[in-house]
Amino acid sequence: MALLEVRDLKTHFRTDDGVVKAVDGVSFSVEKGKTLAIVGESGSGKSVTCLTVMGLNPSRGVETSGEALFNGRDLLRIGGEDLRKIRGNEISMIFQDPMTSLNPVHTIGRQLREAVLVHENVPKQQANARALEMLKAVGIPRAETRMEDYPHQFSGGMRQRVMIAMALINNPDLLIADEPTTALDVTTQAQIITLMGRLQRDFGSAIILITHDLGVVAETADSVMVMYAGRAVEQAAYKGLFYEPHHPYTWGLMDSMPNLAGDDSAELTPIPGTPPSLLRPPKGSKFNPRCRFVMDVCREIEPDLKPVPGDPDHIERCHLEEPVKQSEIERISAERLGAVS
Amino acid sequence: MATNGEPLLVVDDLVKHFPITRGIVFQKEIGRVRAVDGVSFTLNKGETLGVVGESGCGKSTMARCVMRLLDITAGSITFDGRDITRLSAKELMPVRRELMMVFQDPYASLNPRKRVGFIIAEALEVHRIGTDAERKRRVQELLEIVGLNPEHYNRFPHEFSGGQRQRIGVARALAVRPKLIVCDEPVSALDVSVQAQILNLLKSLQRDFELTYIFISHDLNVVRYISDKVAVMYLGKVVESAERAKLYEAPKHPYTGALMSAVPVVNPELARSRKTIVLEGDVPNPVNPPAACRFHPRCPRFVDGTCNVEEPQLVEKAPGQLAACHFPLESWPLNDLRLPAGHTTSS
Repeated sequence: MALLEVRDLKTHFRTDDGVVKAVDGVSFSVEKGKTLAIVGESGSGKSVTCLTVMGLNPSRGVETSGEALFNGRDLLRIGGEDLRKIRGNEISMIFQDPMTSLNPVHTIGRQLREAVLVHENVPKQQANARALEMLKAVGIPRAETRMEDYPHQFSGGMRQRVMIAMALINNPDLLIADEPTTALDVTTQAQIITLMGRLQRDFGSAIILITHDLGVVAETADSVMVMYAGRAVEQAAYKGLFYEPHHPYTWGLMDSMPNLAGDDSAELTPIPGTPPSLLRPPKGSKFNPRCRFVMDVCREIEPDLKPVPGDPDHIERCHLEEPVKQSEIERISAERLGAVS
Repeated sequence: MATNGEPLLVVDDLVKHFPITRGIVFQKEIGRVRAVDGVSFTLNKGETLGVVGESGCGKSTMARCVMRLLDITAGSITFDGRDITRLSAKELMPVRRELMMVFQDPYASLNPRKRVGFIIAEALEVHRIGTDAERKRRVQELLEIVGLNPEHYNRFPHEFSGGQRQRIGVARALAVRPKLIVCDEPVSALDVSVQAQILNLLKSLQRDFELTYIFISHDLNVVRYISDKVAVMYLGKVVESAERAKLYEAPKHPYTGALMSAVPVVNPELARSRKTIVLEGDVPNPVNPPAACRFHPRCPRFVDGTCNVEEPQLVEKAPGQLAACHFPLESWPLNDLRLPAGHTTSS
């Protein structure tokens, strides 16, 4: 059984202007020790999906439905104290901005210690020892002395390491990382990705990685969910998604990436326009106003998620005929993936 | 890119140090941040120079010096045949029209209390160009050029998305018809799909208005897409510079190699099988940069007794490709990081 099984998750926010369907019927699962990447533009609902699973949405004006089974328990039904025991212990989260997610007035050591003491009744020394051990595991040099330092004394990459240490200190089964490397330099990003991979092997945690960078997905993910306007538009194992992408939005994301593997002359083809307002989403396929392949039917009827021929694990939401898709898949493999070895 | 080979900007041995002082009345210098430490390059009309490096390597400081937003410590800047290094604020006014900047954060770089029309027209007003009616027409024309609705000149920045705001930033830079635009990480804060829109916009504007760009980014993919020449900076110095094709085909400096291998590849099999240089640690403190080659403490090819004793000069390692390294990379893609026989690496 999957570690986390999310079925038909909906998160609707009531606002003065109407209902914002931030997440609208998303289902996915994460296996033990595996990485699921959730990809999409800002406002596609990827962060809200995870916040809902963690029970971190504001309590007012939000309607949530569906289920999120974690080790057999529905996270959406157990509230308050029980959920708090799971959060930070069995499921933990890393946020995008390492500058604002650490408390500036407490030392790193104290914040790490707190993460242990909240969940376990152990002596302070023991919590301290765990904190130190984790700091060493994430590769902070001179960990003993740095325990007494404050967040501002760390660089961005180091702070993100501290966040990872804090997230993993209780050895969670599931780690949700919301754009963990977006605010970092490429070299630091490479360090963090390597580190997360190593820790995943050592601790056996499952990871949900939220990102808009397909490059990061290619390096780390086992399976991928592409989201657009609150819905999943394509879900597949990583190979299926990169070598047989079936949805025009996924193509659009690939075409917009400048790529070291591609040749210099390849023009970038951005996705025209901007994501739709979730207050008044377009009729039919949500992507139709920006889609190059739009047909009349797309403006009227929203396609269902259906499996791709020959690959039952690969599902997508598009009306386009398979032959059209195949020729587009060929073009993208040639232009975007470069030298396929 | 139509290059007529005429230099627009010549930067010679640019140095910018920020003093660190102690005391309030008698400020005593107790050290200096060597943000930019001897950078030289020539940029021809219509070309784009990409500047890459990690945070803290001095790329933005270098750009701000070129813009004369910071007073430089030593060196010279020649813009369009004129030495602008020591010009006074008044003498600089006409030059400022020709030098414009697009900033990284489209949220922070537009005044939230001003209307877009005012933001774009402000430079025109400062330079006393046109009448009110002409300025308004120009603003609408600019909005159209950057792909926004000209009717929106009366809106406030918060009514636009991130990508649209960056378009406003570009329109503002274009208003006074500059020759050189410095783009400081203009797409780093944007989503990939929008990033591609802005990059394409910058490229087409360059063709239409014969613009010259200095394009600063930490993303080598983006730089490759837009630049003619690329300079790689590390701790205030240029460690490698070459034409784009040469640099990406065969980087010579190990730091360039490390940056290139840190960029994620959108091809899972390649991404999971390729050999990479993962740099440890951060950029060292520029107050106290490492002796000799500044990259030596992080370099996978460090040779004790050479790299930490003698500073490598920026010299030609291949035709048209300069690198500052004693032991440049012999091959690319990376097969073997080790040095050829006869040298011993220690770490």
